Order: sequence, then C-alpha cells, then structure tokens
Amino acid sequence: MDFSWLSDPFYQGYLWEGFVNTLWLLLVSSVGGLILAVGVALARLRGPQPLVWLAWAFTTMIRGTPLLVQLFFFYYGVGRLLEGVPGMRDSVLWPLLSDPFFFGALTFILSVGAYSGEVIRGAMQSVPRGELEAGRAFGLSGFQVLYRLWLPRAIQLCLPTLTGEMILLLKSVPLVSTIALMDLLQAANIIRDETFLVYEPLLLIAGIYLATTIVLTLLLRLVELNFPGMRPTRRRWLPIR
Amino acid sequence: MTSSLELSPSPQAATAPAVVADHLIKHFGDLEVLKGVSLEVPEGTVTSIIGASGSGKSTLLRCMNLLERPDQGELAIADEAIRFTRNSQGDIIGLDRRQLQRLRAKVTMVFQQFNLWPHLTVLGNVIEAPMRVKGLSRKRATALGEHYLERVGMADRRDAYPAFLSGGQQQRVAIARALAMEPRLLLFDEPTSALDPERVNEVLGVIRGLADEGRTMLLVTHEMHFAREVSDQLVYLDQGRIAASGTPDDVFDDPRCRQFMAPAA
Repeated sequence: MDFSWLSDPFYQGYLWEGFVNTLWLLLVSSVGGLILAVGVALARLRGPQPLVWLAWAFTTMIRGTPLLVQLFFFYYGVGRLLEGVPGMRDSVLWPLLSDPFFFGALTFILSVGAYSGEVIRGAMQSVPRGELEAGRAFGLSGFQVLYRLWLPRAIQLCLPTLTGEMILLLKSVPLVSTIALMDLLQAANIIRDETFLVYEPLLLIAGIYLATTIVLTLLLRLVELNFPGMRPTRRRWLPIR
Repeated sequence: MTSSLELSPSPQAATAPAVVADHLIKHFGDLEVLKGVSLEVPEGTVTSIIGASGSGKSTLLRCMNLLERPDQGELAIADEAIRFTRNSQGDIIGLDRRQLQRLRAKVTMVFQQFNLWPHLTVLGNVIEAPMRVKGLSRKRATALGEHYLERVGMADRRDAYPAFLSGGQQQRVAIARALAMEPRLLLFDEPTSALDPERVNEVLGVIRGLADEGRTMLLVTHEMHFAREVSDQLVYLDQGRIAASGTPDDVFDDPRCRQFMAPAA
C-alpha cells in the first residue's frame, strides 16, 4: 500500500473539493427535493385532475428510469440543447446552465421529489382523519390544517424513511463524476490516473463515505428523536442545558 | 398572571336559547339520517342526546358545528343564523367561509377518540386554536391554556406529548382545548366511549363540574345514569327522529324509550 500521494497538496485540494461538493449536492438536493416532494404529494392527493395526472406521470418517469440515464439526459441532452439556443451563452443564466453542479442538483432534486413524494403521500394518507377534523372543528382554515397539522404529522410518520432516502442519496452522488463534476470519486479517478495507484484512492474515499454515512446517520437519528411528539415531553434540541 | 384575564364568565340564568335547530334533514347518499329534527337548548343548560347506534345522534351533534352540513333546515347557534337550502345545481348553500369560522370558534367539540394533535404538547394543543383562529397572542393564549389545564387537572403535564398520556388524561386535555376557545356551546361526542372503564369517572367528573358551572352543553352519551343526573333536558333519538324529549325523568318514564333504557334504569 502506497499512500505517499496523500501529502501532495494538489491531491489534498481535489479530495477536499470533492468532499465539499458531495456535501453541497446532498444538502441542496435534499432540501430542494423534499420541497418538490411535498408539492408532488399534495398534487396527487388534492390537485385538480390534470395536476394529479402530471404528478403521476412525473413520478412514474423518474422512478422508472435509471438515475444515471437521467443525469446524462439532463447534462448531455438538455444541457446541449440549451447551449444551442441563440443568446443563451450571453445570458445571465449561462454560468449556472454551464455548470455540471446545476445538472447534478437538478437530477437529484427530481429524483428525491419523485421517491420521497410517494413516501410523503403515503404518510399524509395515514394521518388519522380525526386529527384533521379536529382542526376544522376548531375553525382552522384548510391551509392552517395543512401546514400546522397535516404536514408535520405526515413527516413525523415517515421521518425514518425520509432519512433513509437521504443516506441512499449520499451514495448516489458519485454518479456525477461521469459529468465532470469534482466529487470524491472524480478526485480518486484523477489521483489514479496520475499515480497509477488503483486501490489506495478508492479505499480512501470508501472510508470517507463510510465515515460520512455514520455521522449523517447519527445526526438524522438526533433529528428523529427530537421531532416533536417522539419523546414523552418537550426537549431541547441538543441534550445539553 | 391569570388575575388580569377575564376568564369565561359563566353564562347567567337561562335566557335566550343557545341553540335552535329547526327541522334539520341530513342524507348520506340515499340514507336519510336526520328526518327533520327540531331542538332547542336554553343558554346555561345541559342537553343529552341518547339513542341506539345509527339513530343519528352523532350526526345531529356534528351538525351543530357544521362538521356535517344539513341538507335542509335552519340552525341558530350563538348569534349565527344559518338556513340550509340547495341551489339549482343541487349544491347545499347557506353559509360562507367566514361565518363557518366564526361559528366554529364559538362552538367547540370534544371527540370520542380525543383527536389531540400528537406533534404538539399538551399546552400546544390547547393554545393552537385560540392563537390561530381567535388571533390571541402566545402569552395570552398560554395564560388561558394554563388556566383551563388547571381546571381539568392537567396543568402539571403541560409539556407532555399526547401519546404519553392515558386515555382519560388525553380526554381531559381535549376538554381543556375545547374550553380554551371560551365557546358559547360545548359539544361532547361520546366522550367516554373510548376509555377504559376505570378512566371513565375522571372524565365524567370534569364534565359534571362544567355542568355545575352553568355551561351550555350538548352531549351524546351512552352513560345513562350520568345523562339522567347531569342533564336539564334529555332527547331520545330513534331512527333520525326525536322520539321523546323533556326532563330526564319524563323521558326515562316515557314508554317509547323504556325498552331502550331498560338495561340502565
């Protein structure tokens, strides 16, 4: 085993950039994806008929095709198409639209939106009717019932599933190395190409993924335990006073 | 802290009726559940609705805060008068959204299954509607909530979550939640039916205390002894019609409901 390349500041830079990009992608995709997921769930449950169909078609398309294919579709397909639009290269959006990070985040947001949308829809359906009825009975408006009672309760019910999805998402992120985005795998690939060492860089990033997963699992566990209603009484966020 | 609050003045001697229901009709599909029910609840009195399962008593109660919307009839509750008719499309008309919200702020309900909100603490459950429907500040709602939690003996559990309370405790919190809106009319939909037998009395005790305060209440219950003891008026509902009504003694003696009462009397 030869880990001498680890002391090279260039490789350290690649790895660090890859690690930061991975976390950023995870964060942006989770937040954006969950917002989209709530929209998809609501569309399917309460939307007018065209919206119900649209949400169903979206979910079916995203869940029915491989993530890697979607990534290529958006980056090489849609990305190239946009490139050809006259004036696009001069527009203010161009820095965004020429950045592989944008297409990586877009793909993952759509993916999380589709998968978690179904999870949230199921959870919303399993919130006991009586709880929502109590909200109406006390004069809360439909919107108040939604954001004060229905959504928080649904998220409480499916939180372990959602956090599981997030951990799965972390392990999907290396796919972006195929669209020239500097993530951990891309950093390892560069190190392999330049040093002709195959296993060492891979072992290192595998260790980083493992450590990140463990930390993430613990953090999300903390979120689950501290979600209102999960413990007997109201708690502070961290177990320190 | 509570001294600066005006806490729900108990309704004074019976004057105007708090509820006048006139010829309410309600269908579920082809099934006519209420076949023209008329009912009057004087202010400051307790009325219990009794009857067999499927007699329409819960539906009647749920019409009082429009959780069920009558197809026909007139309802005057707490200064809100509503007349139910149908427009040319056959849709029920008769009230707008703001009137509905006003009415529901004045007529609150205690459910058979408690229906507390599990992601909110005991206090959170109690102050939710006063804050969001009546627009009270958190401080004022909290003072009010603590007062009513004290009233039902649950003040020491204000930070607990409902899932960690017994059924009787949950129902007492649900009563505090209904009281915190300072309603003109309190509805109880079989409040003890989902409780363990040994928990029933703690809830009945709270309801009895409220009756003694002179609150206007409408109660659906299977607790015959309790209904007889606590009510000023008893309504016996049979297949969507009022078969007998009057003082508890009158109704219990009425031959039409003798058979129904038999096990309890």
